[in-house]
Amino acid sequence: MQKVLGDFIHALRQAGLPISSAETLDALNAAQLVGIDNAHLLKESLATTLAKCLEHRVIYDQVFELYFNHQGNFRFAEKEDVLSVTKAGEVERGATESTETEGTTSDLFEPMESPLAQQLMSDDTSVLQMMIAEAAGAAGAQDISFSTQISMMAFKVMQALGDSQLQLELAAMEERDEQRALVQLLRQRRSSLQQAVRDYVEQQHLLFNQNVSQQLRQSNLQRVNLTSIDHRNYKLMGELVRKAAKQLASMHSRRRRVTKRGLLDVRRTIAANAAYDGFLFHTKWKSTRVERSKVMVLCDVSGSVSEVARFLMLFLYSLQDVLPRVRSFVFSSRMAEVTELFEKQEMDIALAEILSKWANMRTDYGKALEDFNEMALSDIDQRTTVIMLGDARNNNEDGNVSIWEEVYRRSQRVIWLNPEGEFSWNRADSIMEKYAPYCSHVETCNSLRDLNRILGSVLKHSN
Amino acid sequence: MIIRNREKIHSPDTIKQHFESLGYICSDAIATSVYLACHLQKPILVEGPPGVGKTELAKKTSELLAAPLIRMQCYEGLDEAKALYEWKYGKQLLYTQLLKDQLGDVMRGAKGLDESVSRLHQFGDIFYSDEFLEPRPLLEALKSEDGAILLIDEIDKADQEFEAFLLELLSDFQISIPELGTVKAKSKPLVFLTSNNTRELGDALKRRCLHLYIPFPTKEIEQKIITAQVPELNENLKLQLVEFVSELREMALKKVPAVSETIDWARALLLLNVESLDQEWVKNTLNLLLKFQDDIEAVEPELHELLKAALKGDKSA
Repeated sequence: MQKVLGDFIHALRQAGLPISSAETLDALNAAQLVGIDNAHLLKESLATTLAKCLEHRVIYDQVFELYFNHQGNFRFAEKEDVLSVTKAGEVERGATESTETEGTTSDLFEPMESPLAQQLMSDDTSVLQMMIAEAAGAAGAQDISFSTQISMMAFKVMQALGDSQLQLELAAMEERDEQRALVQLLRQRRSSLQQAVRDYVEQQHLLFNQNVSQQLRQSNLQRVNLTSIDHRNYKLMGELVRKAAKQLASMHSRRRRVTKRGLLDVRRTIAANAAYDGFLFHTKWKSTRVERSKVMVLCDVSGSVSEVARFLMLFLYSLQDVLPRVRSFVFSSRMAEVTELFEKQEMDIALAEILSKWANMRTDYGKALEDFNEMALSDIDQRTTVIMLGDARNNNEDGNVSIWEEVYRRSQRVIWLNPEGEFSWNRADSIMEKYAPYCSHVETCNSLRDLNRILGSVLKHSN
Repeated sequence: MIIRNREKIHSPDTIKQHFESLGYICSDAIATSVYLACHLQKPILVEGPPGVGKTELAKKTSELLAAPLIRMQCYEGLDEAKALYEWKYGKQLLYTQLLKDQLGDVMRGAKGLDESVSRLHQFGDIFYSDEFLEPRPLLEALKSEDGAILLIDEIDKADQEFEAFLLELLSDFQISIPELGTVKAKSKPLVFLTSNNTRELGDALKRRCLHLYIPFPTKEIEQKIITAQVPELNENLKLQLVEFVSELREMALKKVPAVSETIDWARALLLLNVESLDQEWVKNTLNLLLKFQDDIEAVEPELHELLKAALKGDKSA
């Protein structure tokens, strides 16, 4: 039972359920307690120990069905009822599996030589099922990661079962007329065995490795340059961003208290000093919660930067639990605030609207900063983090650096994220060097990993 | 814990039957998890929409096992002093006063400072001791001799710090009090935690608990619940009522009616001597089912359709 449950839990983990070893032990205890006779009861019991939220419960149900319902359902009868071999007269096979077959076949024909043929002739399918499982285990059916490998694996398993020997024997027997019926029967059984092996390998693939190729793709996407992500990967990327954001959020959602000297907590002070007859040796002070910092994000949505901007915004808004006060601005030549748009619309729709409305214009950092000056400069205070995303390619116009200096002076931190690598800063029309002195950090940011790291540091400082 | 009525929990089915006799109709999943919790001695985390009987489950379990129910309602800002223990400061102050008076007697005849100090050490120190400890729900549950049912209600409303603080209790059934040391459970309590999912609970907490999700009941179960709670209601009306409520739950409302609201509504209809659902009655009593004006306004124009569907569903059933 331990092996069966262990494999089941392995399959669940592959399907994305985070099951710890403590939970595995719980599941074993539960299974021991309720026994394995009542499938329904077992399913419910394991579910309470293994699936810890509704989403996981749904996955759990699917895997449970797949895992336990496919075990040992291999029967000749189901596959042969259409074929009923009648050619030789002696071998009569009805729609149902009958012991009579075994009697006739093994009595009438000389014993077969190859072990697989013997197994095929005896009607005990459970032995065959076990043989398949063993051979598949030895051949490594649990480890294939792509669906294209299934046929190859099925072939390997057939070989391990002794298929080639059987084939040889069948070929030899075919030459003798009187054995024809037997050969026919064996061939049919062999093909149903083949099907069963294939089913088994496929099921193993589904259970254990369906997600591996997906995981591979995901980890690649983490590293890939954000500007070169295909449209077809947007959806997957979106999920990845949300996942990463959730991780960051839960890491930083602990509210920290900071002691603020000045207000004496009388009740706690008296309580703490009761032991000293009321002399106030230890003073207790009231603590207040630090307010969360505000974040303003300015995104250049022109040309190639817009692709990165898409993910930055997606990321920021997925962080709303921990960064509730994000104001966002987009610009190419003029700047506009889009905070409200995000509040009203779905993320994807809002992004599409922004990109169609503001992108693809001539970049002008000078004008954009002027607009920012009017709109929001006065709202920047000591608790504000300003994030600028842009390549600082200003088409040789005046960059209005003085406004940026003012932003730097008023805010807590200024982070400039440049999607271009450091080597291309200050080349051609990029005026990164003019803005750089007025930034707390200047970083290259062009993959999901970068985003994750940088926003993690924003959160660290904001608490 | 010392389980009285052990025969009542020897299988999930018997638990289900006994719950039914107590007027609590439950699904197999609920009975199974209570069974496991009793036998594996693990806490259960109960999640689900409001009003499906999460708290009631703990109450009925305490009734079933004839164990006292200790309830702790969580809220933001809940801390150890309110959940675990508090010192009785007033009495401690009085004690030091008494001590001062006694001190003269104790010290009388002592020669030199050393002897005084050693005498002071001999003097029993009960300043931090059980006598001055005011137990709060969690400590009470651990101290109870024969085990108790501990209900930690709406854990999602408490701060994350508090959740972390609970971990020691949930896995080892013990709590550390700095002045006294570790308090171990005399007999392990059966713990129910409920959550309405206002925030995601930590993985560490989930790992230590069995998980039970109670969804809205199926129509059959809801009918049974109403039969158990409002037995006087006539059969026909009951079918219509359950059908109507399940139609409402399909709609996109701010807050869909829960089981407790269905029961309230059934009681109201009984009181008003309604024979069969009609538009007028439903319109007048809709505020029992729906708690937001927006929802009522959204449902009213659809009322005719909904009722038609409910009556039809009832006939086909």
